[in-house]
Amino acid sequence: MGLVGIERLKGILGEENVKDDKADLYVYGSDSSVHEAMPWVVVRPHTIEEVQNVMRYANPRMIPVVARGAGSGMSGQAVPIKGGIVMDLKRMNKILEINLEDTYVRVEPGVVDDDLNRALKPHNVFYPPTPASSRIATIGGEIANNASGVRSVKYGAVRDSILGMKVVMANGDLINLGAKTRVEATGYQLDRLMVGSEGTLGIIVEATLKFVPIPKYRCLGIAKFNELEDAGNAISEIMSSGIILSMLELMDNVAIKAVNQALDLGLPDVEAILMFEADGMAKEGVDIEVKRMMEICKKHNGFGIELSYDAKERTRIFSGRKKLFPALSQFKEFYSCTSLADDMAVPYSKMAETAKKIHEIAKRNNVIMTAYGHCGSGCMHTKILMDPRKKSQWEDAKRAVFEIYNYVRSVGGTTSAEHGIGISKAAAFKREKSDSLNLMRAIKKAFDPNNILNPGKLMDAPDDWVTATSLRYRTDPVDIQ
Amino acid sequence: MEFKRLKEWKDKLHVCIRCGYCYEHCHIFKITNWESDTPRGKLILLYALLHEEIEPTDYMANKIFECFNCGRCDASCSAKVPVTDIFTDVRADFIDGGFDVKGTLSHINEDLCSKCGICVSICKYEARTLDKEQNKIIIDKVKCKSCGGCEAACPSGAAYIEEGYMVSEKELLEQVQCYLGGK
Repeated sequence: MGLVGIERLKGILGEENVKDDKADLYVYGSDSSVHEAMPWVVVRPHTIEEVQNVMRYANPRMIPVVARGAGSGMSGQAVPIKGGIVMDLKRMNKILEINLEDTYVRVEPGVVDDDLNRALKPHNVFYPPTPASSRIATIGGEIANNASGVRSVKYGAVRDSILGMKVVMANGDLINLGAKTRVEATGYQLDRLMVGSEGTLGIIVEATLKFVPIPKYRCLGIAKFNELEDAGNAISEIMSSGIILSMLELMDNVAIKAVNQALDLGLPDVEAILMFEADGMAKEGVDIEVKRMMEICKKHNGFGIELSYDAKERTRIFSGRKKLFPALSQFKEFYSCTSLADDMAVPYSKMAETAKKIHEIAKRNNVIMTAYGHCGSGCMHTKILMDPRKKSQWEDAKRAVFEIYNYVRSVGGTTSAEHGIGISKAAAFKREKSDSLNLMRAIKKAFDPNNILNPGKLMDAPDDWVTATSLRYRTDPVDIQ
Repeated sequence: MEFKRLKEWKDKLHVCIRCGYCYEHCHIFKITNWESDTPRGKLILLYALLHEEIEPTDYMANKIFECFNCGRCDASCSAKVPVTDIFTDVRADFIDGGFDVKGTLSHINEDLCSKCGICVSICKYEARTLDKEQNKIIIDKVKCKSCGGCEAACPSGAAYIEEGYMVSEKELLEQVQCYLGGK
């Protein structure tokens, strides 16, 4: 336990907004990843000034500060690997301005994605990135991880919805980045640098976001495939054919089985499903795009194709995809779904090969893996399903992760599409970006000379993710057979 | 202290992948906004207790008893972790361990209670009994689900639950002002 002045922090934030009981610290040392590490104290600011004052306290004392949204990150971004202060920003959750004339919304970082879209809906507009965790994910966390979601193929990732932001620097200074305009060519795009920085460069305390009109028509199609490779080839052709689509999702057989077991949706028990969607203001346009995707699926042996414009039916079918991550823990008794090698991106032409390779690597290493994801944006999600009680399974997983990232790099892919690096993916990230790591370290030093902002992440994270922190799963002393 | 009932849930606690989807609708979380009050947070604590990494304390026991048993966490869990069943069993462990808890349980103001027994007959969880020898209402802290039925039915205002579902008026006004065009 490091030295931190609890009373000083209580003086800044009020007694009710500072926690140092071991029970609270234990909870705030965990997120949705496999990692755990205890903070020294948890604080909950309500205003920008309070954030500034905490940083002014922490910086000269070299106390680490880890900003935290919902704690839904899958790579350990919010796990305080060096201890220090966890700054829970969920109480900074006000929607400050909805400006319909200039088409932007200003929010505090703790606003939940779905809450923002509920507030925007009466105005017939929406904030489009929408990750699967949108029910709890906060805007600050989404920016820090450059999150994206099922409709990123058309509307882009969080990066593409940012106009500007306010950031509290390590020394407590407040800076304004970006603008409220749609375009800006005024010097370095520092707002973009903050996107995906995982809390290592500053604390995002306000964001100005773009919104777009809610399309009048949305049509969801589903195609079934008996071969995963066929589905992959269909993805490749859809994406190279100039179709304007709003979603293209793959689910392999492991994912389908898990969803059916957990949610009883009655999805067809085939090798793969493709969900495709087009949206727009004119039904004729949507029809054209959807039919083109349907034809391509048929050409690649897709069958049982169904189309639906009905919002309720679309929501029902899609709920399986939204809840897939936890549902995967239902796949096999005693198995857990771990977020390892979970969100690489590969070129469209390599989708089919990647899906096959994932299963081949899983089989060779005694784990189960699934291939699914926002294939329209090149994102291939996987999860490693394994018995976390067995020590040997962690070694299996470690080998599988290593092989997968080697393969992804070999085909021109990238380590993370939308879940971020944190701790779990740091080794692969460092191999992929080896020629720019020193530049990244120099940038980090310019922003945070005392290295207090989420230290030990990204390029500074340990190479061995298994030993980097305590694992959230406790293994049995002897492997259960 | 032995958590014998909790140990039975060891494998289910492995299944929780800590996605956090369970706290979307949690009333307690909406009131306190601390993650350690969410179903996920409580499951993390129980995992630590199970592996003897933290000591049980009154503070922790009270957290486990702060729950309105609405069951939304169970319903939202795609990993099918029986969250409230686990909490119920751990409550029994804490009571066996001698912890005196308040949580969100219903209580009796002895000064106001007329021992009419209406709360006993209305409690669908059979959590209240009238002890004629002691001439007082006894509350079973494991069976009580904090539904508030006793509080609503009690003619003398003796039955009560300390925590409510509300958010503060100030917070509510702030939210409304933001939705009406910012400030």
